[in-house]
Amino acid sequence: MSVGNSLYLVAPEIILSASGLLLLLIGAWGGFKSARLVSILAVTALFASSAVALEFLLNPAFAEGGDAFFGQYRLDKFGSLTKLLIYISAIVSIIIAPRFFDNVAGGRSAVMRPEYPVLIVFAAIGMGMMVSAVDLMTLYIGLELNSLAAYVLASFLRNDERSAEAGLKYFVLGGLASGILLFGMSLLYGFTGTTNFNAINQAFESGLSTGALFGLIFVLAGMAFKISAVPFHMWTPDVYEGAPTPVTTFFATAPKVAALALTMRLAIEAFGSQIAAWQQIIIFIALASIVVGAAGAIGQTNIKRLLAYSSINNVGFILIGLAAANQAGASAMLVYLMIYVAMTLGSFVAVLDLRDADGNQVEEISSLAGLSKSRPGLAAAIAIFMFSLAGIPPLFGFWGKFLVFEAAVQADLILLAALGIAASVIGAFYYLKVIKVMYFDESADVVVKSDSKSHAVIIALCALFVSPLGYLLIPVLGNIADQAAAALFWAL
Amino acid sequence: MIGIEHYIVVSSILFVMGVLGIFLNRKNVIIILMAIELILLAVNINLVAFSAFLGDMVGQVFAMFVLTVAAGEAAIGLAILVIYFRGRGTIAVDDINRMKG
Amino acid sequence: MLRSGADLPVDSLQGQEGNDLTDLSQYLPILLFLGIALILSAAFVFLPMGVSRLTGTHNPTVNKLTEYECGFPAFEDSRSQFDVRFYLVAILFIIFDLEAAFLFPWAVSLNEIGWTGWVTMMIFLFELIVGFAYAWKLGALDWE
Repeated sequence: MSVGNSLYLVAPEIILSASGLLLLLIGAWGGFKSARLVSILAVTALFASSAVALEFLLNPAFAEGGDAFFGQYRLDKFGSLTKLLIYISAIVSIIIAPRFFDNVAGGRSAVMRPEYPVLIVFAAIGMGMMVSAVDLMTLYIGLELNSLAAYVLASFLRNDERSAEAGLKYFVLGGLASGILLFGMSLLYGFTGTTNFNAINQAFESGLSTGALFGLIFVLAGMAFKISAVPFHMWTPDVYEGAPTPVTTFFATAPKVAALALTMRLAIEAFGSQIAAWQQIIIFIALASIVVGAAGAIGQTNIKRLLAYSSINNVGFILIGLAAANQAGASAMLVYLMIYVAMTLGSFVAVLDLRDADGNQVEEISSLAGLSKSRPGLAAAIAIFMFSLAGIPPLFGFWGKFLVFEAAVQADLILLAALGIAASVIGAFYYLKVIKVMYFDESADVVVKSDSKSHAVIIALCALFVSPLGYLLIPVLGNIADQAAAALFWAL
Repeated sequence: MIGIEHYIVVSSILFVMGVLGIFLNRKNVIIILMAIELILLAVNINLVAFSAFLGDMVGQVFAMFVLTVAAGEAAIGLAILVIYFRGRGTIAVDDINRMKG
Repeated sequence: MLRSGADLPVDSLQGQEGNDLTDLSQYLPILLFLGIALILSAAFVFLPMGVSRLTGTHNPTVNKLTEYECGFPAFEDSRSQFDVRFYLVAILFIIFDLEAAFLFPWAVSLNEIGWTGWVTMMIFLFELIVGFAYAWKLGALDWE
């Protein structure tokens, strides 16, 4: 296998790396004025990479995929599909940013900086490496490239204390998570003698030594940090609240997709022959995330914190698909992830569209009172996203939950499915609270009209996707997700 | 004779000390940065020891990557700490409480 | 070689009355391991303190606690804050210093990795130069 062939298989990352370096220089020499140009070019590069990923996903010539760089990296449909989701999230995060940064009240840094799109592009490269990694080393490099860019993004509003604090907290806990993950990887390497996922899987077939079990658990704990699953979720609400809203939009979608995809690949390709060793942990993490996500959301008054708990809750549901440990479960997770990305992007862009008369961001839930009268369209969209996040049947969010529960039942995890369904009913309470405030409370007249067309288009597209019309897409999405899930199980 | 198990014990102790350093320290965020470095160095001891034990180069290559990523992480940590200090005028761990929930 | 999910050795949650709990016993060694590591690392921290108290060497006096500066009395408090610009230089130094560490194994093995390795390293150095140019242009290297 030649190096040229390898470079061909990593084309999406190459496009992004080259344009990232170029954009960095343009940003350095052009200053703040170049922010618009850099943003447009970054979005173009991400679109180009998405096109390549789509080609890899749909063209039958690449159905088999292939290994690149001596088994460090694998191109397959699973990686291409998750990469598409990541790039779409990154594109949306760049498009919505200028309005936010140009309007932040006060402070010197209250302008869009050209570094923002560059950092998003670098994070996207890292996440692309994560979802395609089939070796612990590639995994680590991809994860860190993503994390290092994310720490800076979280503290991007340098003069805002909350943003700096969010960055600091994210950095400390993210660094701890990387350390735990890495310690687990070193143990896996020591006790299996390899860092390749398939080779680890083969080593596990003859039994699991105690040291390797330690490694497995440390690695899963580190990954649980990255996907903000309970009991490693404490950073999520603070970071989501403190980080600038476009960055929070990014955090809630792209890195989550990447980390969940990586967890799936690790659990199935690397640990697939010892399912019994990790299934209990995943079941516990899934149930705890669902319960804590629902319970923690109840007292929240800040809508970004509420959405943070909602994402913890949704990660729990997605992990139910992994607990099933079969192909149906993996496919269900992928469908759920697609719907989750649409719901989350939509709800955060809607939050971004909430501004008072002075142009300040509105984040308090009580300020949403009377939104149904002042901005009926936005209120309806938020209602759709909330109902969908709660998984209430006519909306598309229900379909994702239905699929993971079906997979769990298929794998005889009936109790898990029953508990999950019960918890999702309880969790619906806090989503309904937001809708009640918007539609039935005395009007607070805080939020004013927004003139942003790009926000309106993104919200409308996401709302359309999660509305009952989304069910028309089921054959297409289901088919792609099945193929991607099959790519994950090829080695077993 | 020093065997592989001695290296694992040393690295485990360093690892746990690093984790404790993050959670028990209430004074200074710089100490947290040092604790994170300690964790990563514990991992490096593990990797290099396993590499020598298995007669396999991969562990040493991995250790090189860990070193460089650790440098990047330390740099970004210090940079975030500096902007945090400019805003708040303190880097005491107990003062990082702007957001509670 | 594809295998459908149904044949996977799925360990079901059968027998919720406690069967699955016995499975957890395989995690016991981890608890033990963490406990032992915890005790040992705590011992490293507290043992020297305890020993110094018990043996009576814990006897701080003013002269013992002052800094030692070449035999002179300390001129000033050694914990003084220093300029934040030192941090900036330190940050840049750490990064460029450690990235250069990749050059040593590369130089030693250049015979084996050939032109591919050479080109790869040149690309890596180019990326470093881009980062350096960025830092330079933004004035990170200016002291004033």
